[in-house]
Amino acid sequence: MSLPRIVCPHNRDLLQTFRDRTVAVRVKGLETAAAAAADVWESDNHLLCVIIESGSPLADLDFREEQKDLPLALMAPSCGKFRHLARRLDLLRRCNLRVYLPGSPPENLVSLRILSSVGIYTGAMIDGGVDWDALGDLMTYAVLERVPHAAIEPFAFIASHYDPSSYLDWGGLFFDNPENYLHLDEEGRVALSAAELREQRFVAPSISEIAAPQEFPAIRERLQAWRQYFVENHPCASCGGWKICLGKFAASGSGSQGCAGFFLEMLEVARQFKDRQIQAEGFQIWQP
Amino acid sequence: MANILLTTKCNRACPYCFARQEMSDSPSDSLLSWENLIYIADFLQASGERQVSLLGGEPTLHPECVDFILYLLDRNFQVMVFTNGMLDPARLEELKGHLTEVNPERLTFTCNLNDPEQTPASAEETTKIHNFLSVMGPWTMPGFNIYRLDFRLDFLFDAINRYGMKRHVRLGICHPVPGQRTGFIRMEDMRQVVQRIYAYRPQFDALRVSPGLDCGFPLCQFSDEELGWLHRHRGLIQFGCGPAVDIAPDMNVYYCFPLSRYRRKSLFEFDSLAQVDDHLLKIRHEFKAEIPGVYDDCDGCRHLEDGLCAGGGLCRVVNLFVDEAPIRLPEIEHELAKNRLSS
Repeated sequence: MSLPRIVCPHNRDLLQTFRDRTVAVRVKGLETAAAAAADVWESDNHLLCVIIESGSPLADLDFREEQKDLPLALMAPSCGKFRHLARRLDLLRRCNLRVYLPGSPPENLVSLRILSSVGIYTGAMIDGGVDWDALGDLMTYAVLERVPHAAIEPFAFIASHYDPSSYLDWGGLFFDNPENYLHLDEEGRVALSAAELREQRFVAPSISEIAAPQEFPAIRERLQAWRQYFVENHPCASCGGWKICLGKFAASGSGSQGCAGFFLEMLEVARQFKDRQIQAEGFQIWQP
Repeated sequence: MANILLTTKCNRACPYCFARQEMSDSPSDSLLSWENLIYIADFLQASGERQVSLLGGEPTLHPECVDFILYLLDRNFQVMVFTNGMLDPARLEELKGHLTEVNPERLTFTCNLNDPEQTPASAEETTKIHNFLSVMGPWTMPGFNIYRLDFRLDFLFDAINRYGMKRHVRLGICHPVPGQRTGFIRMEDMRQVVQRIYAYRPQFDALRVSPGLDCGFPLCQFSDEELGWLHRHRGLIQFGCGPAVDIAPDMNVYYCFPLSRYRRKSLFEFDSLAQVDDHLLKIRHEFKAEIPGVYDDCDGCRHLEDGLCAGGGLCRVVNLFVDEAPIRLPEIEHELAKNRLSS
């Protein structure tokens, strides 16, 4: 098991407390992204990406040419009006950028489709309050494309990685999987997810405490937490969508009316996607 | 080219409106959604089509009209917007702020202008059109619908010069809407219309404005001299009749406005624009098998058989069925009755 990547705030002193780790550094605004990236490089760590936690819509952000090579993960509350985005699209398409929008309100699902259709890579941050039917429509669009467009996560990942014989955890796409990502606060305290970081639920006072993640009790326990669904005979454990959901929305209580229907549809679409790939690979004419 | 209807609302009531029935049959709040616009854009792109027209109702009444235009331009479509030019100041500001940097080769407004004396507008309407053309003139060409025989074109030339508009005029002939009473030009008057257009040749030539003919003009109504003049301006001239491929906000597809209630189907039932065309052409063939064209001479006409002329608009042929009730195929009769087009 390799060392999990570190998600931490932009803090030079904090970055100096560890080395040779892969880091996703969090900033509050686009204007500090370049400085944050430079500080990661200076700290003898490897930069995975700069996570921009923006309070402004994507269309309001002033992207610049010099930022186009930075690996950016933009978490924005919404897209904003297309008319304000239109002039920047050429630059955005050239940026090393993925835009993450919350799955609700429903307008964001429309925005994700718009962005994808004009070549911007996106991710839908799904919570239990999402409109599952609308999300299903977006997922179908994302996977069963009529014309090429940029990937919308997690749908593209699930469709391309789905294996009927195993489980698939896509939390890492959203930095939410302690096997791959650990979250640090300004003081270097470690949480297992962004949500737990916000709630200040820490599992270690510093990253140096976690030398062997697979041996660290809190991480090991978290990675095996899915077993509890079966022990408790939780409805999620018998849900047809379990293989690609793993109980992520159990707490929201949306049950069969929401997430279950969505993930069953996702499985079906993933199967169709695989069938298409097989068909495409299967038809080959003779080679000279 | 496909026509996308952004809304079925309109803020004008032209006496010849061939879309009135379609507009009144649709919910007044019917607006094209982003999801459907993206679906249409994907559908057209996959079909190899790179030109779209945006229609209504009045398309600029759609609250996201500007966004839709910018989106389609970004998707590499060439966009034509058919408007009456009566925009509220706020909407006009949006156009001014976001569309005046667009290359006029890629975006064209066709502003349907009525003769200020023969089809007068209110002072408010006139002011709005003036304001629109003052801002968007270089992106706009005038369109004019001929619905009376004493029509005049002088005001179009004035507008082109005054507002720096594109030097091309789209001339449409008003066709009947089967089963409806709207102002239109009768086929027996078509020659008179052609002669009147040709009478404006000196102005067209002097001002270097090219005339463009919309659908349904019959080739036989033009003299060789008139055809030569048109050819010199526009190259190969089409005397065809669609199908226009109109896509309504509810995603129904139909042949054209006058035939909007006839055998409409959802775009979701098709896989490509070629399939839509096939469906609509079948409709045309059904009618044309019974009546080749609007004139008796159309039967056996060489130009019609060669596909150079459609023998007048299909809506006129359908109108013959409706108004004169000749012997007809049971299938056609059934469809006409189902769609309330039967006499």
